[in-house]
Amino acid sequence: MRTLDWFIVVVYLVWMVWDGLRRTKNVDALEGYFLGGRSLPWWAVGLSVMATQLSAITMVGTTGQGFNDGMRFLQFYYALPIAMIVLSVTLVPFFHNSGVYTAYEYLERRFDAKTRAFTSLLFLGSRSMSLGVVISAPAVVISVMFGLSVTQTVLVLALPTAVYTMFGGVQAVAWTDVKQMVFIVGGLLAAVVVLIVGLPADVSLSDALHVAGSTGRLQTFDFSFDLTNQYTFWSGTIAALFLFCSYFGTDQSQVQRYLTTKSVDEARGSLLMSAYWKIPLQALVLLIGVLMFVYYLFTPGPMLFDGRHDQALREGARATEYQALQSRFTDASDQRRAAARAFSAARAAGQGVDAAQADLRARDAEVRGVRAEAQRFVRAATGDSSYNDTNYVFPTFITTQMPVGVVGLLIAAILAAAMSTIAGELSALSTASVIDFYRRFLRPEASDAHFLRVSRIATGFWALFSSVVAVWAASLGSLIEVVNRFGSFFYGSILGVFILAIGAKRATSNGAFIGLLAGMASVWYAASYTPVAFLWHNVIGAVAVVIVGLLVSEIERQVRGPAASDARARA
Amino acid sequence: MSTMTSSYVRVVVVWLLVLAALFAFQRYFS
Repeated sequence: MRTLDWFIVVVYLVWMVWDGLRRTKNVDALEGYFLGGRSLPWWAVGLSVMATQLSAITMVGTTGQGFNDGMRFLQFYYALPIAMIVLSVTLVPFFHNSGVYTAYEYLERRFDAKTRAFTSLLFLGSRSMSLGVVISAPAVVISVMFGLSVTQTVLVLALPTAVYTMFGGVQAVAWTDVKQMVFIVGGLLAAVVVLIVGLPADVSLSDALHVAGSTGRLQTFDFSFDLTNQYTFWSGTIAALFLFCSYFGTDQSQVQRYLTTKSVDEARGSLLMSAYWKIPLQALVLLIGVLMFVYYLFTPGPMLFDGRHDQALREGARATEYQALQSRFTDASDQRRAAARAFSAARAAGQGVDAAQADLRARDAEVRGVRAEAQRFVRAATGDSSYNDTNYVFPTFITTQMPVGVVGLLIAAILAAAMSTIAGELSALSTASVIDFYRRFLRPEASDAHFLRVSRIATGFWALFSSVVAVWAASLGSLIEVVNRFGSFFYGSILGVFILAIGAKRATSNGAFIGLLAGMASVWYAASYTPVAFLWHNVIGAVAVVIVGLLVSEIERQVRGPAASDARARA
Repeated sequence: MSTMTSSYVRVVVVWLLVLAALFAFQRYFS
């Protein structure tokens, strides 16, 4: 990194902290701190929702996914616009009109304190751990770019974010998110421009896209119905619908954001912004990965994008084996480049296109095979079983191929993506712990000033906790997967409880609580004993909660009589 | 039609257009 790039990164960090801190002057009551006085405009909240959802893992991981597998991951987001409409019609008016601070608070009004406390506890447990992963995954990659240790990088990400979130509350989070979103989109567009300009003079954009398409990297629709395949049209439109309804409708980090708007229609407007822009934005991120694939197809690139492992293996005990693998990679890449040029020539001539395309596909499969072998080699040589080169593709491209200035802008964009997610999650964790536990069970009568102090301490505590988890997760790679799987255990189940809350007047509190436990048990069984892909776990969890919840409620009504069961069951 | 209902219809129409464009993109370049 050059001086100008460092300058851009430092200016970005200082600007964010300053901008966040200047919001503190409007924060003198709990509603101002947690809900921005319910006065934020829909467009700012909409951008904030999108910024929180777009993490640094998206910037570094999804671009790498586009490089390796192409755009098929886009199918994951196809249900999002429909989920936004469903939520705008159902949960949003319930939350907004009930004047709650947290989504779980609503569950006590409808059911009982134990259902509220349990769902909130699930949120705190899973979110705090996954926040550690959200910090850890990019920190590991950014530490390579900055030449810092992982602990130092975690501090660079978490400390400034914690400072403005602690003092500025949700207003600071939302308004910094708006600026961070500008950085993210600006950085992504700059990357696309550099990638297109960087194509060889004799390769047009159309040629490049035809080459990418021929290797399957522009596939955005897979209509096969396979429950074990994560990314198909059906899992993206049916199973993901449940995931997005759960995430945007019951996860405090999202619900809190649209509670900051002044009316139900403004809250709906903020969600519909994601409905319009999420798929195109995600397509842009994946397209960057695809363009990097084309770039490195015509320009010799590294076998492993993680420079540290590459260097260690070149100098290690198995250097000869590694060099042999490197030679195979160079040969396979040269042959693929020749095949790509032959394919473009065949297209231009209008003959022999099918044969040239088949050859290109075969050569590409060969290169992919050698890269996969190299990654297995790293895992065996270093003992790091979770090593994945995918996350290093975009950062390596930025630091080695981008012009000065754009490097700084893109690193600031990655930091922005990380910080917007961290800030949103910290604010949500603080709100849930203070409102659902401290104020509910410990000090219900305390003053707003007291709660504000406690909220700031809670924000600081969660920042410290997630940072420690981040450093720990960096050294225990496999933990990341455990945390991600843990989260998927109850997303659908929590959605099921909310479906019972607003959609089933006959559901009782015991029915909802037992249904929730049954839903989580069903998901655990599906995850442990069936090959069903995790997206479908959301459907399994939600359906199990609704069925078991209604059954238990009906049994309770029969045993105790309708009057006793209905005591709390009000819609 | 209320304002919100027409907003929802607009979202669905744009959604279908985006999916159609992506499908055409995949078919054209594959």
